[in-house]
Formats: sequence, C-alpha cells, structure tokens
Amino acid sequence: MNAAWVRNGVHVDDGFAEAFPMKATRILVTAHDAQWAMHAALSATGLATSVIGCGCEAGIERELDPRETPDGRPGLSLLLFAMSGKELARQVERRVGQCVLTCPTTAVYAGIDEGEAIALGRNLRFFGDGWQIAKVIGATRYWRVPVMDGEFVAQETTAVVKGVGGGNLLLLCTDTDSALAVAQAAVAAMRTVPNVIMPFPGGVVRSGSKVGSKYASLSASTNDAFCPTLLGLAANSALTQETRCVLEIVIDGLAEADVGAAMRAGMQAAIALGAPAGLRRIAAGNYGGKLGPFHFHLHKLLQQEAAS
Amino acid sequence: MSGWRLVLRAPPALRVDLRGITPAALGGLSAAAVERLPVGHGNAHAALAEFFYVGAGGADGTLDFEGDLSRFDRMGWQMAEGRIRVEGHVGHHAGGGMRGGDLWVEGHAGLLAASEMVGGTFTVEGNVGDHAAGALPGSMDGMRGGTLVVKGNAGARFADRMRRGTALVHGTAGDFLASRMVAGTVAVGAGVGAHPGFGMRRGSLVLAPGAAMPAMPPTFVHAGGDVPVFWQLLARELARHGGPFAALAGRRIARHLGDLAADGRGEIIQVM
Repeated sequence: MNAAWVRNGVHVDDGFAEAFPMKATRILVTAHDAQWAMHAALSATGLATSVIGCGCEAGIERELDPRETPDGRPGLSLLLFAMSGKELARQVERRVGQCVLTCPTTAVYAGIDEGEAIALGRNLRFFGDGWQIAKVIGATRYWRVPVMDGEFVAQETTAVVKGVGGGNLLLLCTDTDSALAVAQAAVAAMRTVPNVIMPFPGGVVRSGSKVGSKYASLSASTNDAFCPTLLGLAANSALTQETRCVLEIVIDGLAEADVGAAMRAGMQAAIALGAPAGLRRIAAGNYGGKLGPFHFHLHKLLQQEAAS
Repeated sequence: MSGWRLVLRAPPALRVDLRGITPAALGGLSAAAVERLPVGHGNAHAALAEFFYVGAGGADGTLDFEGDLSRFDRMGWQMAEGRIRVEGHVGHHAGGGMRGGDLWVEGHAGLLAASEMVGGTFTVEGNVGDHAAGALPGSMDGMRGGTLVVKGNAGARFADRMRRGTALVHGTAGDFLASRMVAGTVAVGAGVGAHPGFGMRRGSLVLAPGAAMPAMPPTFVHAGGDVPVFWQLLARELARHGGPFAALAGRRIARHLGDLAADGRGEIIQVM
C-alpha cells in the first residue's frame, strides 16, 4: 500500500467505486406538519434499499422549509432511482398511491421540471371515483381527489432524468462500535450534499455483495473478500487481523458529480475521525471497471479535495 | 431587424378588421410591404398605410400601436408569438383566438375580448365589454387557456363557457359572471352582478374580499370540507397579479359548490 495515501492513520485504497446509469426522479411530499410529512416519506421510501429486490432505490434527500414548498407547508424531498423509466413509473405510482395518498393531510408535487414525464397523480386520480377534479394553476396541472380528511392534491406528472447509482465506500474498522461511529459520521456528512441519497438503513449496509453466486438462481451474494469471519477461509480475503468489521455506504445521485461530492464528503468525515476512532482503511467496490461507466477513484476524489 | 410602430393617422369612417396584423406576420417585411398589407374596412379592403404611419419600433417581434383604436377590431386575433402593445383603446374581438405571446392594451377593449383565447397573456389596463373570455356565437367553448387580466371592469357574461386558463378582473364584473363555465379559474376583485356562476359545471370562481355577493345563488351549496392545499396553490398564483389578489393566501375562505342545476362540480370561493 502506498504510504502517500495514508490520512490520519487511515489507508485509502488506490481503487475506485463503479457506478451505473439509472433513471431518477424527485418528488416533494408536504403535510400539515413535519411529523406527518415524515410519516409519508418514510413509508414511501421503505423497502427501497436495492433494485435487486425492491424494484427501486429511494430515500429522503432533505427536509424542506415551508418557504420552499409549493403550498407553504413543511415537506420532504424524496429521490427515487430505478433501472428503467418504466419501472420507475411503476414504483412511483405504487409508492405514492399506497404511502402518500393514504397518509393524512399530505400532498405531492414534482421536484424536477425537465425530463420525460411520468404519472404522479395522473392515474391516482381514479381513486376519486369520478369526483376528482383537474386544476391547472399557472402552468402546472394538479388533481384534486376527495378523501376523508378533505382533499388529496397531486401534481399530474413528475419528470424522469438520468441518474447514477452504486457509488460506494467501504469502511474497514477494528470493531463494531468504531465502524458504526465512523459510518454514521460519514453518512451525516454525505446527507449535506444535495441530489444524493444513501438508500440503505441509516444510510449504511453491512451485507455488501459481489456479482454472482455459486447458486444459479442468485444474481448477487455476500462480498466474501470483506467478511471478517471468513478471514483465513476465503482465499480472496482483503482483510487483516485488525479489521474485524466492515460497513459500506452506497450512494445514488442525480449526476456523476453529485455522487463524487458525496463520496468525498463521506471520506473526509471518516478520515477526520481516523485511526484513533478505529478506522483502518477505506476501500470501494467495483467489478473491474467493465460493467459500470462511472468510476470514482478514491485518490482522485481526495486530490480534488486538496485542490479545492 | 426591429419591430414596428404604427401611429394612427385619423379615426376611420368604418370599422377596421386587423386580423392578420401580428408581430409574426410583419416580421421580415420591408416598410413598404407593411404599408401595403390589406385590412378590412367596412365591406372592402384597404392598405394598412391608409390608417397608420408605419415606422420602426422596439425589439424584434414587437408591434406597437398608438392612438384611439376603438374602431379597430380583432387586435392580436389568433396571434401566436411576439408582443403587441396598444397605447390607446381597441375595438371588439381583441385577443380572440390568441394562442401565445403578449398583448397589452393601455385603454379599454370592446366586446368579446379574449374570446376563445388559447394561450399567451392579454392585459387590459381599462375595461372590457360583454362576453370577454367567452365563446363566439355558436361555439361550445369560451376561453381555453392563457391568462386574461382586466385591470378595470368587465361587462356581462365574463368567462361564459370558459374551459381552461385564468381570467382576472381587478374591478367589477357584470351579470352572469362565469356562466356555463366548464373549467378554469376566474377571479374578481371588486364586485359582481346578478347570477354569478349560472349553469357553472366545473372551475373556480374566486371573489376577493371586495367582491362579496349579497347572497349565494340558490343552486350552490356550502362545502363542508376545507381545501387548504388547493387554496394555497391557487392564492399564491393569483398573488403575482397584485392588486386585490396580492394577499389572498393568508385569508380564510368560504366555498360553495354548484351549479347543482348543471354538473355541480364548480366552486365559488368567497375570500373573507
């Protein structure tokens, strides 16, 4: 390992994270107060950690001040990512229909204007059973659907744009406590970066995966090279005796630069804690560079940090 | 290349039909060609230069008129782009069938202003006559999009059969306001005549605090539920037009649904 890439006692791999193109959209959920907006947002972005089993990856981008929302109420900005525009449209309709329409006092709006339009309230309006009313206000078309607490207002469509999914950091630590603390600090820093989400629970994943499996029915399986319990068993183990807990942070963003900025912020926060906090090494997951067109080289990201 | 400025020579003896005189039609023409453009005059045609001094105007895509054009009909008729500015009054059918662009009239407009308007913005600083934002005789739909702003008062049947778009009257509106309205938004700032919302099927009629009605029409019923989200969206959009609509978002509303003699899904929103 190159000694030049030791920061605060942390080895930074000369590797890169490999990411893929995805389809993305942003929706804004508002409610009577922040608590109900959060209920809807958590529900709508639930079971959305990985496209492998969830159909989409989704998360809360940030909280919105009432001055930022179309109706002047508290709200949250959600980002959703899928492998195709068609699947994203399906996921948006299902999640908004089941989790936002159902949540008291909520309304939903598009958070992106430019891009291919997919249905937001366009199909959900039929819940109104004929009592729904379209309303064009300014240049925006809304649907007003009667519900038991009054009226559910949904913008007719939201826009789909190209996104980037699968940016990642691997944090190799001495023990569970230190790994959790470092990962939490990194996620907290990354959440200040706009246009990104970390879709896993708390922004952190402990079951990092590799492509393929010995079982033909599985497309992904445990990343044995980074499993501390396989140290000494797995021939490809990338760990040492002192790295006993590895946590990964996966990042999806609206643009390559957004994912890079989030990774940089995460590394900075983790390195700031450094070896005294139990962080020994930062690595990234890739597939040899042959599968995904977006490569986030850890050293380059930190060099950009130094340059800026 | 610049726009054009047309200054009235003298009021014409007969009514003049200005259809076809739009910024797009005049763009790229020479002054001589503009002067030769035919316009209807009574039951004949005459050259544009018989009525106007033609000269260079403002920016490209603009057309400025100067003078009392009360006898000039169809100003901006079916215009799709560019900007027309009239320093004076205009006749009937101003902005009729307008599809885009910006039409601004400093004075008053006659009958059927913005009839069957589809897009763009039409602002009248003065008053408009009857049937503004309505339908032409025999037509099923009135205004179908865009924004009409009347800073003065409107005559009767304002927004009759209106289907889409936003039509605002800062002053008063005459009898049968928003009659047979199909959809869209109408807002009035200072008073309405008899029978507002007559035969209204859908759409929103907003009455600012200064436009209170003495009594709600009998075919409208009080709406039980609140619609705070919709109201905030609509009030914030109306606020950008200023005047009596500037501060509606912070006020309470009373909503009535009707006309139950028609489809009954329209609403009269009285701002308190």
